[in-house]
Amino acid sequence: MLDGVLSGVKVLDLTEDVAGSFCARLLGDYGADVLKLEPPGGAALRRMGPFHHDDPHPEKSLFFLLLNLNKKGATLNLETDTGKNILRRLAGYVDVIVESYRPGYLESLGLGHESLAADNPGLITTSITPFGQEGPYSQYQGGEIVEYAMSMVMSISGVQGREPLKHGGFQAQYEGGLFGAAATAMALFAQGNTGQGEHVDVSITECLASTMMATQTIYPFLGGVQARRRAEGSNFENPMPCKDGWIIVQAGGGATWEDIANFFEAPELLEPRFADRAQRARNGAEMDRVIIDAIKDREKWELFPKAAAARMLFGIVQTPMELVDCPQLESRGFYREVEHPVIGKIKVPAELFKLTETPYQLRLAAPTLGQHNREIYVEGLGYDAEQLVQLRQLGVV
Amino acid sequence: MAKLPLDGIRVLDSTYVFALPYTGGQLADLGAEVIKVEGPGRPDITRTGGLYGTFPDNITGEDWWNRPSTYNLLNRGKRSLTLDMATERGRDLFRELVSLSDVVMENFTPRVMRGWGLDYPNLKQIKPDIILVSNTGYGHGDGPYSGYPAQATTQEGTHGHCWVTGYQGGEPSKAGRSFVDFLSTWSAVFAIGAALRYRNRTGKGQWVDIGMYQAGVMFLSEYLMDAISNGREGGRMGNRHPHRAPQGCYPTQGDDQWVALSVADDDQWQALARLMGRDDLAEDGRFVDILSRQRNHDELDEIIGGWTRERDRYDLMHALQGAGIAAGPVFNSRDVHFDPHYKSRNFLERVEFPPERQMGDRIIMGRPYKFSNTPIRIRRPAPEFGEGNEHYLRGLLGLDADSYGALVQDAVVATVPTSGEPAPTPDPQEAVARGQIAAWDPDYRERLGLG
Repeated sequence: MLDGVLSGVKVLDLTEDVAGSFCARLLGDYGADVLKLEPPGGAALRRMGPFHHDDPHPEKSLFFLLLNLNKKGATLNLETDTGKNILRRLAGYVDVIVESYRPGYLESLGLGHESLAADNPGLITTSITPFGQEGPYSQYQGGEIVEYAMSMVMSISGVQGREPLKHGGFQAQYEGGLFGAAATAMALFAQGNTGQGEHVDVSITECLASTMMATQTIYPFLGGVQARRRAEGSNFENPMPCKDGWIIVQAGGGATWEDIANFFEAPELLEPRFADRAQRARNGAEMDRVIIDAIKDREKWELFPKAAAARMLFGIVQTPMELVDCPQLESRGFYREVEHPVIGKIKVPAELFKLTETPYQLRLAAPTLGQHNREIYVEGLGYDAEQLVQLRQLGVV
Repeated sequence: MAKLPLDGIRVLDSTYVFALPYTGGQLADLGAEVIKVEGPGRPDITRTGGLYGTFPDNITGEDWWNRPSTYNLLNRGKRSLTLDMATERGRDLFRELVSLSDVVMENFTPRVMRGWGLDYPNLKQIKPDIILVSNTGYGHGDGPYSGYPAQATTQEGTHGHCWVTGYQGGEPSKAGRSFVDFLSTWSAVFAIGAALRYRNRTGKGQWVDIGMYQAGVMFLSEYLMDAISNGREGGRMGNRHPHRAPQGCYPTQGDDQWVALSVADDDQWQALARLMGRDDLAEDGRFVDILSRQRNHDELDEIIGGWTRERDRYDLMHALQGAGIAAGPVFNSRDVHFDPHYKSRNFLERVEFPPERQMGDRIIMGRPYKFSNTPIRIRRPAPEFGEGNEHYLRGLLGLDADSYGALVQDAVVATVPTSGEPAPTPDPQEAVARGQIAAWDPDYRERLGLG
């Protein structure tokens, strides 16, 4: 019996970045056999923090660790003839290649999708890049802030009168990875039926843009251009400070407006100026002030369960530490413990969603550099031990 | 016509609002037959407009429930069926449809499907290899928040997004666009593709249990690792980068126009200094390496902003990119419709509505990926409420005229929603004056070539 939903799928991960690595990790999380091929000097991600105990050792990048769970790893220099031949051999055995090089780079090495698929028509190559494989900006440099800028997201993030604001962290890259994994899964389903592969062209900028459904359509339906939020409280648009942090609240859900006024112990909210959605939109700044005043001495952890009991739509601003200790995430098995040869035992965020028939398994920690070279090249491809040494001396692995 | 990946796959889509309805739209593009199921008295909230979308030219029309923009974006390519799931007859019909479907999607709070006897163990009895996809705020199970009401715009704080998003040194900021919904959208597309393949190989179905909260937290994984290993709380750094400098968003020529740029290393910094005509800065000790540029980032922002302010944002992008520096304009909801790159990729697709819908042609987003061998397109406009009632209940399930008439009589099915009302449509000029929208082009149809 297959124990993962993608068991039997073989993946080569050629990526050095966040988006591509996350895509390949998701395939591995759900059962695929993933082999990460790094240049002999290691993937760029190994140099990205945070590091375990702040020690910037290449085997201690926590970013590399979390994006490469459930993968094996080998090294290969694609810019040598032997390296190219080895990649061509490996590509003949796999269902999926995930790559995130600048469009055209693999083609320039003779390793583009068409050339590899000639010998393996079922091959799916998933390319995840800032702007996609084709189009006037396809050769341009991307990156988190540039992709947010060109996707419409920044045009509505932040406040009026100030500069547009990117979202924190590298969430755009994770979006590229998840959306890319989704397109890959669909290509895999089709491949299982027809035997035919695809070159899957994912644009991270378009991933972000595709989430702007209310923003994009306001133009071709009305001619409107969506604005950033007003800086002053404007009808629930900003987190509101309470005694020990911030809360976020919305009207709607299972709570009536009266329930909400009672919850805040703020009878002013029942005045006619806040009576309906249109009034609250008009008098949003005042409404926010009433609520902020009502919660200034209350604590978010007191308010959160009470708001839920009142069937309100209500959130609290949690910090990373709070998320690490979250009982809900614990109950969902979100975190797992992994044993890494250099880092040791460590808790990692693991499961994105649950599948009942094929429960999530954290099978492998991220590979150390070249950890599986022997397994892949000697046991897999049949080179002998001496040849592996030779490959090492030639700078191939 | 080329075979599409999901030809022959039937999806029963009993989902509301944004996340899984968008999944259904994506599956329809891929060739699936997607049946949007709504209660006669429970039309999808996206049908009401307002915060949930824009009515075409602000005209609510007689059938307002078929007209808002987001409803039409999310539900493209589907059929529509109404069924009152609160009645036993409605649920029986739903069960019959389950037996003829491959995938069922729902986003009720966890107790609802159980209460109706439509949870996974029950659906499995009806169709052993069914794939059920559930999306909830916090996920099913016995966790403390599993029963909490939830929706993306309040979850942004709870799943940590707001803590890391905001101006440098400022308060937490919201994404303000139901961000986490779309993580569920694509988690579901991923899970369905994988589960269909698995079903073909093993004959087994699957229950996909997605919690938006958990997906949102996953996207902050490096902050979690820094907290786990180093006890660090992260925080807000505005538009800056943890290990690049300078990086920021700078004003350009024109009203509310901006360019974003990011300098990855010392060579790129030298190139930027030369491009700004400031060779002196390339040698300046205040900016010589990454650590000094981070320390003096405020000064750098002043200098760069002074240079960009009088220049055109497109010229800046091309010049910076020409020098090897990542850069691009901030595009708003107007800009993307006219940008040559977006145009060349056909990311925005024109949808033609039949004349009787009085919608005209509209432009909506397709999908962020392309397949090389299989052209994927939006295949049909979103359906009118209940347009597929007869097709499915009489045609597919074979109800006779009397039984069907009784369902209509008792409002188990309908083609006009029995509750709900359209949101007010603010006058665009007033909305601009109040700062609710940034600008309004009354001639947008000509500009877009929509006639």
